[in-house]
Amino acid sequence: MAINFKKIIDSGWTNFKRNSYLSFAATSIMALVLVLFLGLLSLQFLSLQVVTSLQEKIDISAYFKTDATEEQALKIKSDLSILPEVADVTYISQEEALADFKARHAQEELIQESLEQLDSNPLAASLNIKTKDPSQYASIAQFLENSSLRGVIDKINFYENRGVIDRIESISRGVRSWGLIVTLVLALVAVLVTFNTVRLTIFSQKQEIEIMRLVGASNWHIRGPYLAEGGLYGLFAAFIALAIFYPAVYFASDKIAAFAPGINLFGYFITGVPQVVLMVTLLGMFLGMVSSAIAIRKHLKI
Amino acid sequence: MIRFQKVKKIYEPHNVVLDNIDLEIKPGEFVCLVGVSGAGKSTLLKMLTKEERPTSGKVFIEGADLDEIRDREIPYLRRKIGTVYQDFKLLSRKTAYENVAFAMEVSDAAPEEIEKDAPQILSIVGLGDKLESFPEQLSGGEKQRLAIARAMIHRPSILLADEPTGNLDLVNSYDVVKLLLKINELGTTVVLASHDTNIVNSIGKRVVSMDRGKIVRDQTHNGRYVI
Ligand SMILES: Nc1ncnc2c1ncn2[C@@H]1O[C@H](COP(=O)(O)OP(=O)(O)O)[C@@H](O)[C@H]1O
Ligand SMILES: [Mg+2]
Repeated sequence: MAINFKKIIDSGWTNFKRNSYLSFAATSIMALVLVLFLGLLSLQFLSLQVVTSLQEKIDISAYFKTDATEEQALKIKSDLSILPEVADVTYISQEEALADFKARHAQEELIQESLEQLDSNPLAASLNIKTKDPSQYASIAQFLENSSLRGVIDKINFYENRGVIDRIESISRGVRSWGLIVTLVLALVAVLVTFNTVRLTIFSQKQEIEIMRLVGASNWHIRGPYLAEGGLYGLFAAFIALAIFYPAVYFASDKIAAFAPGINLFGYFITGVPQVVLMVTLLGMFLGMVSSAIAIRKHLKI
Repeated sequence: MIRFQKVKKIYEPHNVVLDNIDLEIKPGEFVCLVGVSGAGKSTLLKMLTKEERPTSGKVFIEGADLDEIRDREIPYLRRKIGTVYQDFKLLSRKTAYENVAFAMEVSDAAPEEIEKDAPQILSIVGLGDKLESFPEQLSGGEKQRLAIARAMIHRPSILLADEPTGNLDLVNSYDVVKLLLKINELGTTVVLASHDTNIVNSIGKRVVSMDRGKIVRDQTHNGRYVI
């Protein structure tokens, strides 16, 4: 059986070489499909990373009036921290706010000087609230509005990251679904090209197939070499796609890191090498073999 | 062994190629199927390997109704029946040995079995010294003997020969007929379709004559091809 298997692969390889021009076409279009597929995966990864890192930055700040006491602020803080949707609350006193402000503007002499001349602290104490889920910020704001200590709160702010996140999500959803459509269309083209290549081989070997049938070859014996041929297109296409994709990701990775520090696309695909290689190879061979199976179907009758 | 029961074959729209054929062939018989070109001999033989199916009527081989053999089982049917054709149907890119080995491979024979049986059958048909020859390096007679070797490799109980001498000269034709007679003596049922009067008359076995899809004469002993 092992010897038969080798024979089948051998004759598939012979077919592959005989149709070099069409084999090349089938292999390249399939490689293109696989590269696009990998591109979609990268996009998926990138948009997920960007959105998560932005979501981490969503928070709500409640600024206190200058006459609010620290007790009142801490009371609100403890009220908030027992809410289930709150992940973290930090109290920033007036002094801390000032120190923070000074530190941030340490280089700017004008600001430092004008701060020196003030006798009171112009900055307000505040509570900084992070929620578990970005969609919960509205209910936190609501809670503060209804608080019995609403009187000591000056204003409630939240960073308007939400709009940005929504836009990124909708853009990436759009690119993803269009990318998926384009990939599917190209996959169909790849199947058609492979189908025709294998059909041409079958046509040039009509006599062999007829003789095989007459001497009592089972369907698997007839089908085997053509499935192997299609599988080989997929295998080579997978190698080509990976050989294009990895260097491309390597170069793109630097550019992406410049925009969005902390996102390591290349690292992501390097740690996943075994899975990526396996998935792309299997996908390629599956495409090739399905096309061959369709092409040979008609010739297996009787 | 072989039984045709009211077999009718109509090619669309209304070309009646086989018209109510009733025929029985017993195990070990040698039958010549004769008739002019277009009489329906090839079509009748193709019914036995399920290359063609009757429009109506039934065909039995060893008691089995061919209607009940599913498509998936056809390869097994064909390994029980050897076939030889006028145009040899050899694989031109394979040597004599490989042509025979190929027929064994496709029926999942073990490699040791192939290495043992293929040269043996080739020397039986007189091609023991031509194992490595390609079909184009063989004479017509040798090609047909190679085709017979391939047909016999599964030790079929039935051998169908459709005009096997059609492309051969007289000497080679008689060689092929002698080989068929020898195969028949060893127990294989042989059906030989031919329109060659001299060949048929020299055999002196059962002769079934066909004309326009009908059996017009069935001489069971020392039959003659009467035109
Ligand atoms: N596939 C087919 N379609 C239509 N007509 C066919 C087909 N095969 C054979 N025939 C017709 O059937 C008749 C009998 O053919 P055949 O069995 O080959 O005769 P023979 O072998 O006796 O010369 C012929 O008239 C031929 O034209
Ligand atoms: Mg004929």
